[in-house]
Amino acid sequence: MICDQCGDRPASVIVKQNINGQMTERQLCHVCAAGNHNFNIVFEQDPLAIHQLLSNWFPNQQTSPNPIKKEVAVCPSCGFTFNKFLKLGKFGCAECYEVFESQLDEIFKRLHNGNSEHTGKIPASYGSTLKIKKEIEELRKQMKSSIEQENFEQAAKLRDQVKALNVQLEGGASDGN
Amino acid sequence: MAIERFLQPRASSWMSNDGENVDIAMSTRIRLARNLNNFKFPYAYTEDEALKVDKEISAVLLDKGKELKHSFTHISIQETPQLEREVLVEKHLISPYLAKGTHSGSVLISENEELSIMVNEEDHLRIQSLQSGFHLQEAYQRANELDSLLEKHLSYAFHEKYGYLTSCPTNTGTGMRASVMLHLPALTMSHQITRIIPAISRLGMVVRGIYGEGSEALGNVYQISNQVTLGKSEYEILQDLENMTDQIIQQERRAREAILSNSPVVLEDRIYRSLGTLTNARLLTTEEAATCLSDVRLGIDLKMIEGMDMSILNELMVFMQPAFLQRYSDKPLQPKERDYARAKLFRDRLNNEDVTNNRGEDFA
Repeated sequence: MICDQCGDRPASVIVKQNINGQMTERQLCHVCAAGNHNFNIVFEQDPLAIHQLLSNWFPNQQTSPNPIKKEVAVCPSCGFTFNKFLKLGKFGCAECYEVFESQLDEIFKRLHNGNSEHTGKIPASYGSTLKIKKEIEELRKQMKSSIEQENFEQAAKLRDQVKALNVQLEGGASDGN
Repeated sequence: MAIERFLQPRASSWMSNDGENVDIAMSTRIRLARNLNNFKFPYAYTEDEALKVDKEISAVLLDKGKELKHSFTHISIQETPQLEREVLVEKHLISPYLAKGTHSGSVLISENEELSIMVNEEDHLRIQSLQSGFHLQEAYQRANELDSLLEKHLSYAFHEKYGYLTSCPTNTGTGMRASVMLHLPALTMSHQITRIIPAISRLGMVVRGIYGEGSEALGNVYQISNQVTLGKSEYEILQDLENMTDQIIQQERRAREAILSNSPVVLEDRIYRSLGTLTNARLLTTEEAATCLSDVRLGIDLKMIEGMDMSILNELMVFMQPAFLQRYSDKPLQPKERDYARAKLFRDRLNNEDVTNNRGEDFA
């Protein structure tokens, strides 16, 4: 067994890491293991060191000598490959999200506690109907929690807002374009 | 020069001492990350594109910012000397990453320093709203207002499924990072913090030291922030963070009571020794100053020390940092010289009665 990190020396230590309940296991040589001794203290890691997490989750893509890669997705807009995205931990442009879409759900679920779909704010210009629908959903949620907190005044206000939005929706989304 | 006002050792409004739970929750910060359509993101674009992005965003802000009754000062990072950049970092007005000046970048700062917009940081646009105390909703409102104004004039990169598209997949979705700066001396002394931190990280939030390197929480100041940005609305993220912060504040209060009832004299001794150090020392390292500041803060909270203004302590935490010290000595300082300048700063500020406003001419 060869060390996962340097790919050179024989592995002699198994490093297990638990991130958000996700176990990863790496086999390291004594040199790399010594350099990684802070591994078990997850909160010490720089939160921006996301590329480390990504390459932990997709180890086979990182050790590239394997010629049987699934597909070499290259973003036509910025030239980023999926491997480059993993290595850097960053997207190169908006189009990367489309090009790498098939692999993103898994990544987002791990990063965002199992979620992979946006439910928050939507820019007004982005289609007013979609915006209104999502807004109603959001207001309903807030209304529910207001009721749970017995803040009925707030809940009534929210209910009126939902009503007004529904009228807008039926009236063919008059605002915006 | 317009930048001058932001470099003064004058309290930003987020360092004041207003607001709920302000004894423990020192300040609140909201950050929204946005990118423009039709431009590659900062990790892939050319300097030429960076310049265009910078121009486009800065122009819109300077022109339209007035609609929100803010006037913004535009500061080009590359035209700003390194030391002044560091001062802006120490004041939390820009990030260390922007200060590096990898690309043409700018920061636009509102007159009260509550809003700062970084252009060409890791994303094209980063809106930051800072406020003293524990006020997540208000701070968000302010950032959101500005965001809604900008989106009318700029075309944001947005995806129906993934939301706001960002360079880093950890920001995708709302692009929002909300955080509260907490002073937790009692949870630290009682080592409870080491149990709290991992527990919180399982709930999609993260706690870490804000000053200093790595896990070391200089001055017992921690920052709690959301990690999840996808699948939760801004409102839900703020609610969760608010609930969690409330719980931590309560735990800190309980821990303070416990220490106070178990070993009041030991605590009082420690607090007064620290006060003595800050008001008398001739050499103060950052670490020692931060530790003593934390003790004195606690002493004020517990009413052991009276007649001292907490906002001065908030300011000192910022102004005692290396770039500030050097700027107000008008020369680069070796670490030992900094320790001397720092000690003098503390003596001047803490021993003087009339110390709240606009002093700074007699630093170092």
